[in-house]
Amino acid sequence: MEKIKEILNRFDMEYVEDYKPTWVKAKLKNKNDLLDVVKALKEVGVASCSTVSPTDFPEENRMEINYFLEDIENKKNVWLKVDIDRDLEKCEIDSITPVLESADYHELESYSTFGVKFKGHPNLRYFLISADYYGKFPFRKDFDWEEHEKQLIENVNTISDEFFEEYEENEETMGHEDSRTVLHWGPTHPASGPIRLKVYVNGENIEKVEPDIGYVWRALEKLSERKDFIGTIVAVERICFMDNTNPMICYAQAVEEIAGKEITPFAKYMRVILGELGRTVSHLISMGGFFGTMGLQTFLMWCLDVREYFLDVLEDYSGARIATACIEPGGVRYPLNDYKVWFEEINKAIEKWESVKPDIEDIFMKNPLMVTRAKDTGVFTKEDVVDNYLAGPIARASNVKVDVRLDEPYAGYADLEMDYVTCESGDARDRLFIIYKEINQSIDLIKQAMKKIEEGIEAGEMDPKKDHMVKMPRRMPEGEAVSRVEWARGEMLMHLVTMPKSTNPYRLKIKAPSVNHTRILEKLIPGHTLSDIPLLYGSMHICQGDLDR
Amino acid sequence: MLKVLDFFNYARSKSPWIVHFCSGCCSLEMLAAMGPRYDWERYGYIMTPTPRQADIIFITGLVSKKILPALLRTYEQMPEPRYVVAIGACAYDGGPYNDSPSVIKNMTEILPADVFVAGCPPKPEAIVAGLEELKEKIKRGEPSASSQGGLWKQMKF
Repeated sequence: MEKIKEILNRFDMEYVEDYKPTWVKAKLKNKNDLLDVVKALKEVGVASCSTVSPTDFPEENRMEINYFLEDIENKKNVWLKVDIDRDLEKCEIDSITPVLESADYHELESYSTFGVKFKGHPNLRYFLISADYYGKFPFRKDFDWEEHEKQLIENVNTISDEFFEEYEENEETMGHEDSRTVLHWGPTHPASGPIRLKVYVNGENIEKVEPDIGYVWRALEKLSERKDFIGTIVAVERICFMDNTNPMICYAQAVEEIAGKEITPFAKYMRVILGELGRTVSHLISMGGFFGTMGLQTFLMWCLDVREYFLDVLEDYSGARIATACIEPGGVRYPLNDYKVWFEEINKAIEKWESVKPDIEDIFMKNPLMVTRAKDTGVFTKEDVVDNYLAGPIARASNVKVDVRLDEPYAGYADLEMDYVTCESGDARDRLFIIYKEINQSIDLIKQAMKKIEEGIEAGEMDPKKDHMVKMPRRMPEGEAVSRVEWARGEMLMHLVTMPKSTNPYRLKIKAPSVNHTRILEKLIPGHTLSDIPLLYGSMHICQGDLDR
Repeated sequence: MLKVLDFFNYARSKSPWIVHFCSGCCSLEMLAAMGPRYDWERYGYIMTPTPRQADIIFITGLVSKKILPALLRTYEQMPEPRYVVAIGACAYDGGPYNDSPSVIKNMTEILPADVFVAGCPPKPEAIVAGLEELKEKIKRGEPSASSQGGLWKQMKF
């Protein structure tokens, strides 16, 4: 930590200060220093870029760019800020992608939505946004999208034209000689979901892959600026419906930090239970989907069956199976009127999982066909993880010990017993195993949290009917917060900015892990054959919801 | 002749095939409807990967501008008679994304649906119930709403 501060102090800084226990926050005076700072930080191990988040201040005519850098091995985070000019012609800064590869897609996203030009980026192009927004930069505060919306048919035609142009271009450059062509994998492929991989193939061998994303781009970051602090939950929980609870925890933590409120122990453990339920539900689909993409639907059906029991638990608590909206700033939304009944329901779901576990291990985890196809396929080394900032289960499958629940404990995790779950080799098979192991870990955590709540209630320290919420102010003070949680697919980071006496977020940046996991497909898939795409893609556990936001 | 056509409609209504196309989050509840607890195959519904063999296309929740051409193209590739089922609030008016700059809010005008299932997301039971309603429509031999009109005919895709 001292080393990082020393390096930062070598440059011309407005301030260098401690933020959370593992964080250093600093602001650069001169944007030309940025590349040197990042290079110097890389030498001491801060070698991953979590995300890049611009914030637009039209009144002050400045664009503030936040870089979230991370030392994965030693659990250190650096929050670097720098101001640049807001005018479109002068709105440019050095790209850090040549130094930190993992910033690539995040910089493209900032360029497309805010118009920040990154000088020296290897391939600066429009990304994520649809063709009708090219050159308009929709996340800027002065962009009038209502005017833009009026020409709906023209806008859709613009998007179609882009597809046609691309098709013509491919026809010209590739021709059909040498059996070379471009295949589009998705968005109508049964295993793909709304994403398109442009696959350049020679016969069956894949030469190049280019992901084309933005098919479920809902502009959630912009949307949350138009809602109030409670209404933003609706936007935030819809990042991805598979694991619905953890994004809400992340958002609620950021708001609580700005308001300076501490939640009750009961709410903390409730967040653990709900978060782990969300993770289990999501992992069950991931695990089933892995086999589903390989063509074995039986296991998918098994997993869906178990999942229903966990959804019942969520439904009992919140009234909704998937869109629960059950966590809000200040605690959890509902009291537990009869906690024993709800815990009984949880135990029923756990029992169901325990009852199918032996069969899953025997039939599917040792499945010879799966082992033949997935073993030693698509291996990630530790260096890959650090360079490309792979997060969560994907990183842990490669034996990298990273888990926000342990690195920067939130909710009630600090008081629970847990350890890093890892696998050794980092191939596609391990990325399945890790999911299986994590479900077991989640269930263990749920049991521990349930016990803590029971003990608390018996000792009279917790009141499940009253303790679920602390009162939150209606208007937030000016502030800025960063909050991280371990989501089902990896680290989720939210950067929330508020204005004085505001009722709605000024800016909410959501960093989701699937962005980097999609980026790595460019390197992962080439060299394999076409039939390996579903397997490798399935092993990355990508959700398009959080990829596009 | 009329009776033969009636028989066709009757037969068609017994096992409608649904094309695999997901444009939004409601597809998760579709997955649950496919799953063991709700199991829509009991009613004869089955998913097919190709639009060429499908009778029904789902608008699963939100439709962003970018996926609309792909959705319309898939729809156009289906043989007649083809039916549209819209599920989720987003497929009606944008739902929770009504303020979002990139989601289409008038999907009902672009590609009119024969059945609309409300909810965010609708429960699997509701989806199956909606499909059962569509079955009746197919049996009666009514033309689908989307073949009658809609803005989709003015769009390039």
